[in-house]
Amino acid sequence: MAVAQENARAEGRSFSPFWTIARRDSLAGFLFIAPQLVGIIAFVLIPLGLVFWYSLHEWNVLANTFTYTGGQNYRMLIEDESLLEVLGATAIFSAGLVILNMSLALLLAVLLNQKLAGIAIFRTLFFSPVVVSLVAWTIVWGFLLQKNGGINGMLLMLGIEGPNWLREETTAMISVIVVQVFKNVGLNMILFLAALQGVPKELYEAARIDGAPAFKQFRRITLPLISPTILLTSIITIVGSLQVFAQIAVLTQGGPGLSTTVLVYYLYQQAFQFHFFGYGSTLSILLFAIVAILTFAQWQMRKRIVFYES
Amino acid sequence: MKAELSPRTRTALYGLMCVLLIPFVFPTWWMVTSSIKPISDIFAFPPQLIPQSYDWTTYSKVFELQPFVRQYWNSAYIAALVTVGTMVVSSMAGYAFARIRFPYANTIFMIVLLGLLIPSEVTIVPLFQMFLKAGMVNTHWPLILVPIFGAPSVFATFVMRQFFVTLPAELEEAARVDGLGRFKIFAKIALPLAKPALASVAIFTFLHSWNLFLEPIVFLSSAEMFTLPQALTQYTDAYGGPMWNIQLAAATLTALPVLIVFVIAQKQFVEGLAHTGLKG
Amino acid sequence: MADVTLSDIRKSYGALKTIHGVNLDIRDGEFVVLVGPSGCGKSTLLRMIAGLETITDGTLKIGDRRVNDLDPKDRDIAMVFQSYALYPHMTVATNMGFSLEHRGANKAEINERVNWAAGILGLTNLLDRYPRQLSGGQRQRVAMGRAIVRNPQVFLFDEPLSNLDAKLRVVMRGEIKALHRRLKTTTIYVTHDQVEAMTMADRIVVLNGGRVEQIGAPLDLYDRPANQFVAGFIGSPSMNFLTGTITEQGFQTSDVVLPLPASKGTVMGQAIVYGIRPEHFRLNDHPGRASVSAEIVLIEPMGSETQVTMRLGDTQVIGVFRERISGTTGDIINISLDIDAIHLFSGDGAIRLN
Repeated sequence: MAVAQENARAEGRSFSPFWTIARRDSLAGFLFIAPQLVGIIAFVLIPLGLVFWYSLHEWNVLANTFTYTGGQNYRMLIEDESLLEVLGATAIFSAGLVILNMSLALLLAVLLNQKLAGIAIFRTLFFSPVVVSLVAWTIVWGFLLQKNGGINGMLLMLGIEGPNWLREETTAMISVIVVQVFKNVGLNMILFLAALQGVPKELYEAARIDGAPAFKQFRRITLPLISPTILLTSIITIVGSLQVFAQIAVLTQGGPGLSTTVLVYYLYQQAFQFHFFGYGSTLSILLFAIVAILTFAQWQMRKRIVFYES
Repeated sequence: MKAELSPRTRTALYGLMCVLLIPFVFPTWWMVTSSIKPISDIFAFPPQLIPQSYDWTTYSKVFELQPFVRQYWNSAYIAALVTVGTMVVSSMAGYAFARIRFPYANTIFMIVLLGLLIPSEVTIVPLFQMFLKAGMVNTHWPLILVPIFGAPSVFATFVMRQFFVTLPAELEEAARVDGLGRFKIFAKIALPLAKPALASVAIFTFLHSWNLFLEPIVFLSSAEMFTLPQALTQYTDAYGGPMWNIQLAAATLTALPVLIVFVIAQKQFVEGLAHTGLKG
Repeated sequence: MADVTLSDIRKSYGALKTIHGVNLDIRDGEFVVLVGPSGCGKSTLLRMIAGLETITDGTLKIGDRRVNDLDPKDRDIAMVFQSYALYPHMTVATNMGFSLEHRGANKAEINERVNWAAGILGLTNLLDRYPRQLSGGQRQRVAMGRAIVRNPQVFLFDEPLSNLDAKLRVVMRGEIKALHRRLKTTTIYVTHDQVEAMTMADRIVVLNGGRVEQIGAPLDLYDRPANQFVAGFIGSPSMNFLTGTITEQGFQTSDVVLPLPASKGTVMGQAIVYGIRPEHFRLNDHPGRASVSAEIVLIEPMGSETQVTMRLGDTQVIGVFRERISGTTGDIINISLDIDAIHLFSGDGAIRLN
């Protein structure tokens, strides 16, 4: 008792007047964020500046020349006919992925929200591909989608001759979308399920007393109430879809032709396979602009389509 | 929530879910079973859902053709370092943004959030040049430093901040009265209470690092340095065609440990990620 | 244990001033209650004493030390929070010993102090539990235990009973009071509940809008409130106020004339506020008292007493009577007023006149 008191008194030293409580707290704040802030400056902001700087240059790695060319790379961007195809493929891939992913996730979430015995086991199984190594998952699908692979084997047992999935333009695109959807739909499913479980039961009870049929309950109560989650996950999913690389690299290498060459894959090819670092940087700027515009547009949309926000 | 389901609806729902499960579960099953089939059986018709004979030599080839143990170790230690590092960096930054008043806090937070808007693919070209100049190409440094301090950790920081915002202010005030300074409040009060948020950060950071593909193939060039995702694609024959059974065996070795951990701790995984997403 | 002295303490957030120069001398061992409506600045003032809010201007002394710029931990105070703020991840014993741990006390000493405090508060059997396993009253006791283990110079309580139900509040009120009698530590206690203030305080400080309205012993405040705000705040149901003017017959409000007590501060024709507490009305069975008639608006029988809302002239007033009263809305009753218990305030309510 006495010691504790003595200690308290001893610690009652005055700090120099400059180090007020507020100043000491500010210092602590800066120290706490320093690693993150330095990291962002070094690994995001400076590279972002550099990528813009590079995009204004013609960079020949073999000749070791780095020449300022102004908007030359951007003119090339507009004139690049392959890029048009690439952007088309990117749009189809992203749109297909988001639509399929969101609807399947919602369907699965509604199913998992039913009161059924053993539902937790289904939840675990639907979620399991999320934790399977991405490249492992892609390899086994690549194996299944071979001309003489498992899927066509099964189809043949039903008397159907399947296509060479990864070697035809339409089916190749469908394949990369589907492989990616099954890999990650479990994440959105879990988010939707949590949102569904957050809808107050009383609302459904009130709707049943009002005599609303099940589908109407879903459309008029469930959907509006989970719309913030739908918006949020759709942003994450779209931005994520623009970053899909491994699946394309492993399954199709962008082919056949350019049919599955999405922007990130094209960027990788230009910069790291053909060593066009200047043009690759220009493509990076384009990717950045697309992500920024999409994110911004969706935040704007939030005001119109999201009915409810907590 | 809903009226009791009739037995008929019940059966229909179970049936629907079982059909839907096929593309989620079958690939994993096919991967494991095909990896132990003899090469002659893997494309057999009709497809063998259950292997009829076994060939374990495939697994020894996984280790003969490439330094697979070394590659496994590379992936494991990189993922472990990145996970721990991200937890430290993001919990500190998240705590400061949520709980400490310091000048320009909001502006700095907005700058940090930029990291969410800039996929690492955008900055891969200059990052490569920077690490090239630093002599760190074909080392693991880019795969460790960038995720811990750069854009990938911003989401973790955001998750941690959202958690710390909900921490009652009176708890910290009580700690201040009890004689703790900022660092001790963080270490002894805030951090122990943030275990659920830290767990979700750990899970998604680990998975992100474990799955990293573009960065390794950009930064790494020798087989000794490769990480698993990259190594898996290297089992090819003289014509560049995949050696399917060996690839599948290596894929199984890559996927199974994480799957097993997931089955054991599936509640933490699912809830951890749901928790993150709701708030992110 | 120590005096606490506040000299012209001020607080502002930028241009917004919330505390406007508070002076207060708290004597060693005193139990002082800061009371006022929400937003009056009482919690801010307490948190400034604790060191959780910075002091914009003025001097705060604990004992002989000026503590304005000291961290809470260096002020030798302990605080009980409204939400108790128990550390959820620590046992009761760890919670209580936590501050000692950070002051370099050894294990044996911590144990001794924790057991001593637990003994006083009846927590001995709960030392290994976690806060989530405790009831509201038990948590409250742990919060107090955490404060007393350290034997600080000053205890600070920030609305500690507002999360408890009514019954438990009465019990804990008694316990806190008993604890103070036993330890005799200087205590500053914030509440918005005037009943708590009345029953617990040696002295009450009534705050309003960041200013001190009155400081005094509970019954002094009740019997001689310095202004209309204090008069209305202390006491439940509140004092009734009627506005009107002083005439030769007495106090005139609309068409009713009420008796006036002797007072030096009033002049004929002056507009004043006339205050009377509900229990100072009597049913007119006391011959010799001035009588007025009032119209019944509502009768609420409480069993032990009857609360009657009545219309007196233009004003609705509340009376509390020991008798049971029969009658309905619109009936007229004759009542008299206890002339010694009438409070007169200036027309703006700022000054007491009698």
